[in-house]
Amino acid sequence: MLFRVDPASAVPLGDQIAACVRGALADGSAAPGERLPAARELADSLGVNVHTVLRGYQRLREEGLIELRRGRGALIVPGATAPDRARLVSRLREAAAEARELGLTDEEFLDLARTSLG
Amino acid sequence: MHRSTPRLRALAALPFVVTLAVYLVLLALRYDRLPDTLATHFGPEGGRADGFTGRTAFTAVSTGLLLALGAGWTFLVRRGSLWGAWATAGFTGVLLVLLVRDNLDATDPAQVDSPLTNLLFAGATAALLGLAGWGLTRLVPRDEPAAGTGLPDAPRLPLGAGEVAGWSRATASRPLTVLAVLALAAAPAVLLLAPRPASLLGLLGLVIGLPGLALARVRVTVDRRGLTVRSALAPRPRARIPLDEVAGANVRELDTAAVLAEFGGWGYRVRAHRTGWIVRAGETLVVRRSSGREFAVTVPDARTAAALLNTLAERHGKV
Repeated sequence: MLFRVDPASAVPLGDQIAACVRGALADGSAAPGERLPAARELADSLGVNVHTVLRGYQRLREEGLIELRRGRGALIVPGATAPDRARLVSRLREAAAEARELGLTDEEFLDLARTSLG
Repeated sequence: MHRSTPRLRALAALPFVVTLAVYLVLLALRYDRLPDTLATHFGPEGGRADGFTGRTAFTAVSTGLLLALGAGWTFLVRRGSLWGAWATAGFTGVLLVLLVRDNLDATDPAQVDSPLTNLLFAGATAALLGLAGWGLTRLVPRDEPAAGTGLPDAPRLPLGAGEVAGWSRATASRPLTVLAVLALAAAPAVLLLAPRPASLLGLLGLVIGLPGLALARVRVTVDRRGLTVRSALAPRPRARIPLDEVAGANVRELDTAAVLAEFGGWGYRVRAHRTGWIVRAGETLVVRRSSGREFAVTVPDARTAAALLNTLAERHGKV
């Protein structure tokens, strides 16, 4: 699976790494159940700090897209719904970014999200 | 890379076809002079017989042996090993014919002996035929350099100027993993249960199982350091091609026949012009090194890996 990050971008590197995994899962180049490279290894590959990678992995875990197990590394959650979930998370993040651009506060955005739940 | 040409295969099959034909004709002519049971194995002292085979079984086994050797050589022959097909055919053919001769008119197969000069004679024939096969090699056109692995038409992956990219993928061979795990599991069982010193054979399980497991599951990485292939379980064994040695990368689809013909099997394979870390059939990343050698590793999504490797190698050259 392909990781690409731009250190010059305003987006934090950890978020860029998480976005790579989400994108790969959404477009099928990474499969549910696949093992991600170890954080140290990926950090060496990209020339970034290992904590940056771990921040990205942690975010993916909070989004329910990967499992982190001590000693076993990071694993994309098994199950056929993982790609759809990745797409959903991506769209949510886009929506959140758009809300910020419009000048909405976090509270207003959450209210909006709650309203759309009906 | 290339496949064996029909001409090369024909030249490899030829000595076996001739040997088989001559052998069968001789056997047919002398069949009534052969005893019902033939001496087919000989002890170290004076070549006295100590193993026996029925006449029909002997005919079947010897014919099958020639057919199997011939099929194997025809299927797997390379330009540089054609002489081996001829030497093998000569060696086996002469041994079989001499064996039949020793058994002619034998009343008691236990009294048959087979002089050691038979082996010498077979060896000499093998050497002569090997030379002939080597001479015939010139009838086969030389290997063409691999097409399409140069940088110009190889796949690319557009990268922004400041962008850093890495590709990583794990791949595994299930049959190899199962075999290795079985070998490992057998080791303690044999060590504990079998009587000594036979139980020490159980150590073989470790000798086979540990490297087997290390080779069966690999992680392939393409990044600013080049291509790295290593065992998914440990940092070693590892193979690395630095970016400045990458002359081009491409993707090939290897089926089982191609794996056997080009690498002679699975695992870490070193051949005359290529090295391969082959854990299965299918999509294969092929890297041409600046030395002209090829390195191949079977891995899913090899196209992305090849594209990134080409792009990084090119960028590396510019800096």
